[in-house]
Amino acid sequence: MARQGDEGPLVGRTGTLADVQSNLRNVGPGGTAAVFVTGESGVGKSRLLRETADALRETGFSVLFGTCLDIGDASPLHPVLQALRRLDGTAPAGTADDAGALLERVSRDLRAIAGEQQLLLVLDDLQWADRSTRQLLLYLLAGLGDVRVSVLAAIRAEALHGTHPLRRVLAELRRLRSVRVVDLAPLSQDHTRELVTAIVGGTVALEDADRVYKRSGGNPFVVEELARDLRDGRVELSDTLREIFLSRVDELPPNAHTVVHAIAAGVEPVEHAVLAGVVPLPEDQLIEAVRAAVTHRFVASDRDGYKLRHRLVAEVLEQEVLPAEAASLHRRYAETLESVEGEPDNARLAFHWQRAGEPDRALPPVVASARAAERMYGFAEAHRYWTIALQLAGDTDPRRTELLGHAAESAHQCGEHLLALARLEELAGRPDAPGQSELHLRRARYLAAAGRSATAEIEYQRALEAPDCTPRRRASAAAYLAELLLHLGRYADANQHAREALELAAVNGATTDLVRASAALGFSAAFREDPDAGLAVIRHAVEIAERSGHPDDLGVAYLHLAELLAGPLNSLEEGVLVARRGAGLLAARGVGRTYQTRLLAIAAKGLFRNGQWSEAYAVLETAMRNHPSGADAVELLLARSQLWVGFGEVENARRDLDAVATLLAGGGARHVLPMLTLRAGLAMWQGEHAEARAAVQRGLTETRSDDLVLLGVLAWHGLRAEAEAHVAGQPIDAGAIRRLRTVMDRLVKGVVEAPAPVRAVVDGYLDLCTAELSRVEDRQDPEPWARAAAIWDRRQQPYPRGVLTAAARRGLPAAPGPAHVGGHRAAPGVCDGDRDGRPPVRQRDHRGGAAVPGHARRRRPGGAGRPGARGGRAVHADRTGAGGAGGGGRGLDQSRDR
Amino acid sequence: MTQPIWGPVQQEMSDLLQRHPDDVPGVVDLLARLQVALCRVPPLLDSNPLADFNKLYLTITENVLERLYAGKFKDPAFLARLDVEFAARYFDALRYWTEGSPACPGVWAGLFCRIPGPDARALPSAVAGVNAHINFDLPFALVTTFDHLGSDPVDGSDQHHDYLQVNDIFAEEIPGLRRGYLDRWQLLIDTMNGDLDDWWQGEMVEYTRNVAWRNAQKLWAIRHDLGALDKERRRLDGTATGLGKLLLSPFGSFLQ
Repeated sequence: MARQGDEGPLVGRTGTLADVQSNLRNVGPGGTAAVFVTGESGVGKSRLLRETADALRETGFSVLFGTCLDIGDASPLHPVLQALRRLDGTAPAGTADDAGALLERVSRDLRAIAGEQQLLLVLDDLQWADRSTRQLLLYLLAGLGDVRVSVLAAIRAEALHGTHPLRRVLAELRRLRSVRVVDLAPLSQDHTRELVTAIVGGTVALEDADRVYKRSGGNPFVVEELARDLRDGRVELSDTLREIFLSRVDELPPNAHTVVHAIAAGVEPVEHAVLAGVVPLPEDQLIEAVRAAVTHRFVASDRDGYKLRHRLVAEVLEQEVLPAEAASLHRRYAETLESVEGEPDNARLAFHWQRAGEPDRALPPVVASARAAERMYGFAEAHRYWTIALQLAGDTDPRRTELLGHAAESAHQCGEHLLALARLEELAGRPDAPGQSELHLRRARYLAAAGRSATAEIEYQRALEAPDCTPRRRASAAAYLAELLLHLGRYADANQHAREALELAAVNGATTDLVRASAALGFSAAFREDPDAGLAVIRHAVEIAERSGHPDDLGVAYLHLAELLAGPLNSLEEGVLVARRGAGLLAARGVGRTYQTRLLAIAAKGLFRNGQWSEAYAVLETAMRNHPSGADAVELLLARSQLWVGFGEVENARRDLDAVATLLAGGGARHVLPMLTLRAGLAMWQGEHAEARAAVQRGLTETRSDDLVLLGVLAWHGLRAEAEAHVAGQPIDAGAIRRLRTVMDRLVKGVVEAPAPVRAVVDGYLDLCTAELSRVEDRQDPEPWARAAAIWDRRQQPYPRGVLTAAARRGLPAAPGPAHVGGHRAAPGVCDGDRDGRPPVRQRDHRGGAAVPGHARRRRPGGAGRPGARGGRAVHADRTGAGGAGGGGRGLDQSRDR
Repeated sequence: MTQPIWGPVQQEMSDLLQRHPDDVPGVVDLLARLQVALCRVPPLLDSNPLADFNKLYLTITENVLERLYAGKFKDPAFLARLDVEFAARYFDALRYWTEGSPACPGVWAGLFCRIPGPDARALPSAVAGVNAHINFDLPFALVTTFDHLGSDPVDGSDQHHDYLQVNDIFAEEIPGLRRGYLDRWQLLIDTMNGDLDDWWQGEMVEYTRNVAWRNAQKLWAIRHDLGALDKERRRLDGTATGLGKLLLSPFGSFLQ
């Protein structure tokens, strides 16, 4: 909350100020930096923000200042759009193809403002920021917006106590080199004395200054107020902030008193015209009253309007207003806002009508705000508005049924599956509820998205059996069910339902259902030893989609075909070709950005596996030019950092991994392990044992016990880090070695049950583990090295084989040297990724009955839009492939190759 | 507010609390270092009530870590995150207390302010810490973890199963620790009481942990409403503070 006007001097913050500025200037390789300032109210966060902004503006930064709103229900991206609007009066329009396009549009505006300069984006009161704003921040900090931006944000420490989402975001970001979290502490006793002396002027009795320190606890805001009391000769120092301000309120002239209370009830900043509508005074008297409020240090005024000088003041005043008075003020606000010409400010209107105790009048702006948020892909915000709407519309309100439908769907969209189901239950109990088949279908979709497959399956069956199920809906339900069964690895059942869906959809179905059913049929056929039939079905779906020309149909159909080819069928080259053709087709029409990105990701991974690294890199660059966001961006960045590692471009690899970590701070658990494996590999290669150790230990404590291959990779990385540390004469971590042995025991036990190809890979890692252990124990045992070399050589795996060149030093035959690709130096010791010997589809399936590579990587049907959304067991399939970002599925016939 | 709270280890505590461990081994490491520092806080040294709790917490977290490496949990990513989030709240409380900040939750402040004495019995002290940590911190840690992982707190889920497994760890550790605290005559009483007492202790932890799961489900529904959340936080803090006072009162020594 901004404090302006006659401020006291800045005391005790010189060092912090310099550090903050230097951190903001010191951008990482991605061109971004961030400082988050936390601290209790009144500790001086806003002041620090302003001072820093002023200083950096003078040294060539372009500065943008935004403040988050305290009404909890702001519109998506509010503080950034407000900052843009403040600068040039316009803001990006609220419509875009998808959430990513909106982020890109905002980034473009920020780029335009920055020009050649580094942009400083200052955000005050970030604790009130909506989810969209948090995502935008991470998107910018990850460098995805192509804006050279430094972010400076303040967060009230009080807000972080509970379950605030920023808690985890900050915890994740703290690790990054380009991010600092500054905990602003209260002033020390000496600094308090200094501030008191500066405000009082002249000499201050030491005991007076110390009394101020005791009462204020060193909080600069309170120190200043108490020091002013001291200066103005108020003999008895007030004990609490409340007393300080209440005694001052009493001294205000009556009109100024009214103005202060009116501003306290408003949503800051309050424009003069609005205040004039709320406080019924002639203009000259109003201005005089405002001036008095400013003089008495209650109100600050800037070009946006009026604010209370500090949030703490508002909190004191709030308790002094009678409920009836408050309701009347809110009513006047709402009426005034309604009379303002132009676009209605629905968020504010909704806020004031609610507090005026007028639910009926609050409902329309609340619904309008919900729809506006949906248009901006702010599903979390939309969901909050629909929830408020439900609170406003009572049980008997005829609009409640429709509102429940929206509330359930928006909850589902933003990943609130439990709430979505609860809303749906209430909807089902309404006298005018939708039909049974619709309810079952929706319930099934929500359950599937929540990862509760068994109950979802029952609900799909019920939808199919419901008497009111139209052929069209039956087609839809059967297609969804087929897709779910495919995820569960029940290919025969999936096949049967896909056939049924296809028959129904061919007669009377939507193209989307036709495409979904075709894909499920194609995949299930391919898994049931009839790949040609499967392929033919999906090719047919592509034809249908090309005829319909709808971007979604085209995107889905091409995605399925490319995944089938590059995944289970292992026709890498054709898969790459199809993926690129699909992406090109969509690009030529200027639609389906998300699908283009995903198709190009498939192409890049296929090229990588084929050894065409330079080509893969080029494709990834094209995909990145689409400015992807969320999970799509994470996948591309992981793939690219794996390439960088392969090329030996360590700094670039680190940059991309940092970008991944930044994005994952907003959620997205399924990508954490691939990131950690790459990090461990990179650190190990560079001899940074501590970092490798840390990445391995975090990875191992978060890996499921049936991910044998991943466990093998991590255990080996961990032991290798210890061995390298030992060789370098640094201390080893005995506890870590003991625990890594536990993991080796798990591998030995688990591998007995594993199918042959998995066993071979895990055995290879076990040999490497034993070999590293022999180095730790100074035994220099050549036996395990030789065994491991033989295994990896037989499997033609470049990664561990490259490392085994080290074995040459121990008199063993060295593996052939690493390939040089595209003029880059290859770094064989790090590039495990796709080549980590993950087993082929068939064998992987029965480890958990869930892994359907390629397929598993797709979004779940109707799944949540956020990266963290759970994909049920499919998530696990993805983790299995965590060894490499370049990992697509192994082909059916690859097992034969091996 | 001005005198160093931790006496001769003030700087050491302050430095240790600058860390924000983000994995379970990191949490174990910090707890172990804190244990060393806490045992040097005068006048009670290693019998100060916080050292009693920290020791129990360290043992339990080490046990969790061993189980993570041994692959005992169904969803290790969930449990590891929960463990880190959970510990972060204890470290936060210590940090606030070290800085003299009023943000320190009441339930923790109640235990911390007993560090200089009067001496409380080891078992009630440890249980008072467990009370603060489970009754107050755990529901919030659960909600943050679920929110971050993008899943919901559903009864009977893999996560619920793993969560309940931690009850077994408490049941395993508390009787063992308890005997460790006892001197001879108490051992006699303990033997006479048989398992009944242990059972009661185990029940208490299990009971409060289930309350924490229920509270987390309650918080889950209102987690976007900062006002309601803050109200609930105060309520939980108030309840837990009351219980903590009881545990550290002479009544609490009946436990031992």
